[in-house]
Amino acid sequence: MAAFDTFIGLEVHIHLLTKTKVFCDCAFEYGAPPNTHVCPVCLGYPGVLPTVNREALKFSYMVGEALHCTPSEKTFFERKNYFYPDMSKNYQITQFQEPVGLGGYFEFKTQGKTKKIRIHDIHLEEDAGKMIHDGNRSLVDYNRAGTSLLEIVTEPDLSSGEEAEDFLQAFRQMVQYMGVCDGNMEEGSLRCDANISINKKGKGLGTKVEIKNMNSSRNVRIAMRYEQRRQARAKKTGTKIVQETRLWDAENKKTQKMRTKEAAHDYRYFPEPDIPPFIPDEQFKEAVRAAMVELPAVRKERMKGEYGLQNDMVDFLTAEKSRADFYEKVIASGADKETSAKWMKGEFTKLLSREGLDISTTNMTPQRFSDLMKLLGDGTIHANIAKQILEIILEEDKDPSVIISERELMRPAADASGLENLIKEIIALEPAAIADIKEGNQKAIGFLMGKVMKETKGSFDPATVRAKLLELLGI
Amino acid sequence: MAIDTKWSEILNSSENKGAYIKEVQDLDDEIGAFLQFDPDLGAALTTGGSENSLKGLPFAVKDNIAVKDFNLTCGSKILETFSSPYSATAVKRLLEAGAIPVGKVNLDEFGMGSATTNSALRKTVNPWNPDRVPGGSSGGSAAAVAAGMVPFSLGSDTGGSVRQPANFCGVYGLKPTYGAVSRYGLVAYASSLECIGILSESVDMMERVYETIKGSDPKDQTSRDASGEIPDLHHETMTIGVLESTEGLDEEVAQAYEEAINQCKSLGWNILPVTIDSLNYVVPVYYTIAAAEASANLARYTGVRYGHRSAQSTDVQSMTRETREEGFGSEVKSRIILGTYVLRSGFQDQYYVRAQKIRTRIKMDLAEVYEKVDLLMMPVFPTQAFPATGDSLTPFQQKLADRYTITANLAGLPAMSVPTGVKNGLPVGVQFMAPEFCETHLFKAAKAYEAIYRPQRASKSLHLIQEVR
Repeated sequence: MAAFDTFIGLEVHIHLLTKTKVFCDCAFEYGAPPNTHVCPVCLGYPGVLPTVNREALKFSYMVGEALHCTPSEKTFFERKNYFYPDMSKNYQITQFQEPVGLGGYFEFKTQGKTKKIRIHDIHLEEDAGKMIHDGNRSLVDYNRAGTSLLEIVTEPDLSSGEEAEDFLQAFRQMVQYMGVCDGNMEEGSLRCDANISINKKGKGLGTKVEIKNMNSSRNVRIAMRYEQRRQARAKKTGTKIVQETRLWDAENKKTQKMRTKEAAHDYRYFPEPDIPPFIPDEQFKEAVRAAMVELPAVRKERMKGEYGLQNDMVDFLTAEKSRADFYEKVIASGADKETSAKWMKGEFTKLLSREGLDISTTNMTPQRFSDLMKLLGDGTIHANIAKQILEIILEEDKDPSVIISERELMRPAADASGLENLIKEIIALEPAAIADIKEGNQKAIGFLMGKVMKETKGSFDPATVRAKLLELLGI
Repeated sequence: MAIDTKWSEILNSSENKGAYIKEVQDLDDEIGAFLQFDPDLGAALTTGGSENSLKGLPFAVKDNIAVKDFNLTCGSKILETFSSPYSATAVKRLLEAGAIPVGKVNLDEFGMGSATTNSALRKTVNPWNPDRVPGGSSGGSAAAVAAGMVPFSLGSDTGGSVRQPANFCGVYGLKPTYGAVSRYGLVAYASSLECIGILSESVDMMERVYETIKGSDPKDQTSRDASGEIPDLHHETMTIGVLESTEGLDEEVAQAYEEAINQCKSLGWNILPVTIDSLNYVVPVYYTIAAAEASANLARYTGVRYGHRSAQSTDVQSMTRETREEGFGSEVKSRIILGTYVLRSGFQDQYYVRAQKIRTRIKMDLAEVYEKVDLLMMPVFPTQAFPATGDSLTPFQQKLADRYTITANLAGLPAMSVPTGVKNGLPVGVQFMAPEFCETHLFKAAKAYEAIYRPQRASKSLHLIQEVR
């Protein structure tokens, strides 16, 4: 590969998290029964008109801002004409001459360095429905037809599959942070096509090949690597590289020439007469600014400094905005930075993934988590109890202090006299075990420990129990 | 409002209503205005109305405008079996005012034509003379009003399709300002040019209907309310701009135009001759833009979701091709082909973009003219209602003849055709054209003229309401 330069550009489509589709009032719900989220507008019935969703415009301008694009002062839509059954009007309403944002760049970390790639443009459009092939007939589900899609077109500034994957993950994290897209590539809410060309070092762009049908960032990486090798082999053997569209075959791990005649399409773009140009006014611009959030890269740096955390810990905490928000609220209510981070990454995350829960929607509020960390920190409870309380909060929706007082045996460690009395009682009831211990049988200590722990239902720290037991036994 | 009383007498008694239905059906066997006539279905849709509204008035709707549960054929085989699941906003507003849609009326397929002869479903004749066409594309809307079957109807005007048939049938026809009436529910032919318009037997009726259906609609983002005050007239008395040269008019039409100018003078109005050079470009500009938009607007008819589906298909491509081959008539096909041609990549600058530039120029020319005049008065069409067969106008001549009506569509301005008399047994008239949102000036002029000439009903018209106006 060293003899060649590789140029990869991406076309990323994100489904905007708007409440309704981009040109009608239908909602979108992934996996809903076919044709249940449709209306005369998105079905392209005679006489209906599209009306552009302002929230979709707002989200689009927000992404433009995050990507340092020049925002359009007068953006308009156009019709892209082609016949396909999943497109109800047989034209797609998209943007061409005057998209919401032009130019711009995006910085992300890859292979330990910061890479900056240029953005060509971002444009808002409608998605198509879905064709389902069923034996010798084809069915169409229009649930997805007309949902808001923002397309981000990069310049061919990426030079490897790894970079493309890193870009996608960083970009995905950013749009999730902004709340404009859920970033789910499996469900198709973030999709990516690529164009790739290689050429002898220093010779500039080669003949570009478009690659479609890669449904995960991992597949983008593998497909790019495959295509790099395929093209390099062609160069070496003197085979001409054809400008074409190829499909990624994830099963056989290779790209294949697309069979359709789509290549030579003349889309006959012209301005959409049903939607007037959109001119963002001050109020709109202000709403866009107000909705902007601290982006992941910036937040990571800030949190690293502010909380004195290690790289991998801050990476974990900022991986999702909801997680970073949760952590910062916990710290704001006075819990220890390191303990809280450790517990969030450890027990809490384990529990959330076991139960399949989302951090932002459980009974565990940052306040409760913070209280729990404080109880742990001042020695009121020990780690085992904290784990139990964590689980109980998720199930019962109660504050940690309430749980402790409700469960009698979950006595605070401070109740040391209670523990002493209990151990004395047990010693009196088990003379045989005491005799064994006096003869040097260490196992009998474990037996007594077990008795105490059972009686106290584990509410005391085992180390405390052991120390007390040995003390009372005079060992 | 004698006419309102008469209509409520007719439609409120089941006996009278039966007589009405029977007479319309009999009369329409000769005229052919209706594609669907069902007053009971319409009455079930009416939702309101108060005194002084349009309560109880029947109306007909051009069959390219959606009325819930009624057919929406667009005069085309491709939608012959399609019934609408929703109502157009303009129709909804009429229903809320208590008016009753009694049926859907004939048109040139998808609004493409000037004689209603391009309807794939029915032949409509002119109620003044069955050998003549009613005009088009809103031929059914005009014929139904002229024959007294309804006091008003809705039509659509893309390049004159309300004003020209109104003129041919001797009724009033209004093409409102672009955006003044919501297009939601009007089946699209040329989106940037067309409007829902009104055909009526009196100016008062026209004004009441316009007041009811106008106004911005969230379902149509190109719809607007008049911004600010409607400008006053320039002068105490109205100043009417008239064309210095009007070539190519038939003798009767030229005469009628001259007479109308004299009548204006007799009303005390100032007459100012004007020249509008860009008028020479309106026809090619119109057909370029209209065809381009039509080529996309009509792409949705493929038999996938509704309407006709060819039985000759083996796959999706052939289904699309055969369905459109069987479902569309030749005029529609020729405009789709023309539109596809002018939008080809590499040719847009030469055709579509150039047409848009000239369109802007036309608007500027007119804005200049309106600095001097309140209204322009122009002929509607170079001929009176022409014969349906024989030495009739060819499709190409019909297109050239659209030059007087097209201007208002290209510039988005309101225009109203007004009957001014009858010559050789056929109506003649003129049209007034105003600056945007100055419909009130049109009504003012038309009312003044109505006092001089009160249009008659056609020779073939409903006896039930013959004496009442």
